[in-house]
Amino acid sequence: MRKKTWASLVASVMAISLSAGCGKKDVQDIGQGAAPTKEEDSIVCYVGHGFWDGSLDPVKGAYAYGYAFTNNALLSVTPDSSYKGDLAEGWEVSPDALTYTFHLKDGIKFQDGSDLSAEDVVFTYETVMENQGDNEDVDLTKLESVEAPKEDTVVFTLKEPYSPFLDAAAQLGIVPSDGYDSAAFDEKPIGTGPWKVVQYNAEQQLIVEANEEYFDGAPKIKRVTFVDMDNEAAFSNAQSGQLDIVMVQPNYVSEEIEGMHIEELETMDVRNISLPCQPRQVMKDRDGKEVEVGNDVTSDVNVRKALSIGIDRERIIENAFNGVGRPAYGFTRNLEWGNAPEAVDGQAEEARGLLEKAGWVDHDGDGIRERDGVKCGFEVYTPSDEQDRYNLAVAVAEEAKELGISIVVKQTSWDEIYDTSNTGGVVWGFGQFNPIVIDQLFNSGGILRGDFDNKPAYENEKVDALIGDAIDAAEHSEAVAKWKEAQAVYAEEYPYLFIVNIEHCYFVSDRLDISVDTQIPHPHGHGIPIICNMKDWSLR
Amino acid sequence: MDRKRIQWNTRTKILVYMVLALIYLAGILVWGLLMDPEAYAVDYSVKFLPPGAGHLFGTDFMGRDMLLRCVKGLSTSIVIGVIASVVSSFIALAAGVAAAVVGGKLDSFVNWCVDLCMGMPHLVLLLLISFMLGRGMKGVMVGVALTHWPELTRIVRAEVLQIRSEQYVQAAYRLGKSRMQVAREHILPHVLPVYLIGVILLFPHAIMHEASITFLGFGLSAEEPAIGVILSESMKHIATGKWWLALFPGIMLLAAIMLFDRIGEDLKRLWNPDSGNE
Repeated sequence: MRKKTWASLVASVMAISLSAGCGKKDVQDIGQGAAPTKEEDSIVCYVGHGFWDGSLDPVKGAYAYGYAFTNNALLSVTPDSSYKGDLAEGWEVSPDALTYTFHLKDGIKFQDGSDLSAEDVVFTYETVMENQGDNEDVDLTKLESVEAPKEDTVVFTLKEPYSPFLDAAAQLGIVPSDGYDSAAFDEKPIGTGPWKVVQYNAEQQLIVEANEEYFDGAPKIKRVTFVDMDNEAAFSNAQSGQLDIVMVQPNYVSEEIEGMHIEELETMDVRNISLPCQPRQVMKDRDGKEVEVGNDVTSDVNVRKALSIGIDRERIIENAFNGVGRPAYGFTRNLEWGNAPEAVDGQAEEARGLLEKAGWVDHDGDGIRERDGVKCGFEVYTPSDEQDRYNLAVAVAEEAKELGISIVVKQTSWDEIYDTSNTGGVVWGFGQFNPIVIDQLFNSGGILRGDFDNKPAYENEKVDALIGDAIDAAEHSEAVAKWKEAQAVYAEEYPYLFIVNIEHCYFVSDRLDISVDTQIPHPHGHGIPIICNMKDWSLR
Repeated sequence: MDRKRIQWNTRTKILVYMVLALIYLAGILVWGLLMDPEAYAVDYSVKFLPPGAGHLFGTDFMGRDMLLRCVKGLSTSIVIGVIASVVSSFIALAAGVAAAVVGGKLDSFVNWCVDLCMGMPHLVLLLLISFMLGRGMKGVMVGVALTHWPELTRIVRAEVLQIRSEQYVQAAYRLGKSRMQVAREHILPHVLPVYLIGVILLFPHAIMHEASITFLGFGLSAEEPAIGVILSESMKHIATGKWWLALFPGIMLLAAIMLFDRIGEDLKRLWNPDSGNE
């Protein structure tokens, strides 16, 4: 018996040290197998786990972020988050908003030496349409057909007007029609992009080399190795000088690493908490199954508004994120269509007055208001794999306590969150160039539809109509105007409590210049998007 | 005179050890159970304080007092350990005695169940059960309770088999006593010491396993103060030199486990006829 106990002790101690151990091994592998760390024109980076999500094939959704990596899309996103031609020289949209015509640039070659032609674009889009199930990042379900009337012209015909189609054109990297091999592209995609994949070991490392023939100028750094490890292990490795870039969580920014400096980069990624807008009730979902929906506390718009104006977002960010991030009141203004209301928080007195007027009063003196025997409290769920969201929710709960609202923060798996999100709050993260997110989150058609769609079960006919107008718009500027209007309308009713526009933090080696000016606002990518302008990076 | 007073015999020493250990464990248990959650509430003004006068074990990234969190966590662990061990041991006693006394098909069935449970890595089975029941307090408790009985069952069964072939037991049968009567009057009393020691030695296992699966994210959820949660959180901050987040909770967990182990071993020496008179 005694031996067994000791054995289990030892086993547990080993389990505890396991996570730290893994990271070290990875770095040793790199040391032996590939580029030594501190070479003249090569760098080693840790930018999170996102590279290892699966395939590297654009047809299956890889790098659908709006910037070129191994492949280029027709369009790309600019630092002010509008679209510009990438493979395309220019484009037109027909007045009925059903036909999109793109003209390709001349003389672009794939990394295998073949020429880019309209045929390749047609092939790429048709392949994705046929296998839409493999690609959840680029949605082509509104696309009727794609044709190549000329060598350098591609014509897309839509089934119905759909203005967010431009975003698909910026996300889908083009693959060569002759050289495409679905299995091989999972690890070694061939594209027109600035980077060629040399080696890919899932969940270990990805090595890319500069494409010297890149049509927009060859990258200055010749070889980049991305490694996978724990955040903590990466930090330790950076301390021992083995990494040129390491992504860190906000609570590491007050640390110092010799020979490295911290970069806090702008994102469009917001964290918000969904607040169920309907009273508690049973609804039927699409399969006819009965589902509990709504919350009797957050369904009172006064509670939602009091939270939004009563909390102090700066203090929350200071407490939860070490001061890294910006207060958010809606989708960020670095998005072309983003229309966050003016700053309105820190008005605790007004918030308390609002609650009193709505009948929420603390009768029993426990610091929490109640109305008709219902405590002014609800639960907020956070995914257990993201400590940051938990920290954020706890900091919000502390602020809410000041207003007499009790928020109980729970940490659980995503599976459970999908169920509980109908009746409680959930901390979500949203950051994308595509305004269709407004349709997903605020259109009443999204109620009980998917795992992310309209979780507060928010209903507003005016918002639905404006979203419809925005989607149908032929003119890009008209679409943007309608999207903005829709945001202004729902902002009055606070279905989501917007809290923070996060910033991505990295320790960057002092010898490396990551060209901060040409960085685009990072989409939701858990650290990867720093590579958006890797072509412009240089070593000092 | 003074010298003589210090020279306690082994039996007394063991008793003193045991009482001290029990006081320590019971103290933590009661302190934790009676603790007001406000005591270890979030306080951002005292983030990451190293151990000092105000906070003996320091504070964590939300300014929560680590000593109080540890005590609360450990008391939860002890509750889970005690309940799980008691349930486990009941299963073990019932299954072990029944298998040995009834024999035949029931014996084979119990043996088969024991083999089944022991054939799978302990922790994996525990994870499966806990995850299936939706984790949390319930998942961990049922998981720990249902995975710790096989070894004890084997011991009890072997002991009963041995006693059953003794002459006085056979004599009791011949005198017309029923199987139940024999089991209760002649077999159970002899199995009891082995069984009780087994139960106490189950505690450290149960506590350790609770902490392990919580550490791995399949047990108690992160908002509850549990030793496993505290240790896994500390991993995130160890790289930046916040050593106190891992060291003190680790020591407290080890101390609790080793004390339980010690109590079990001591009881064994006291009750074992060969060493009882040392």
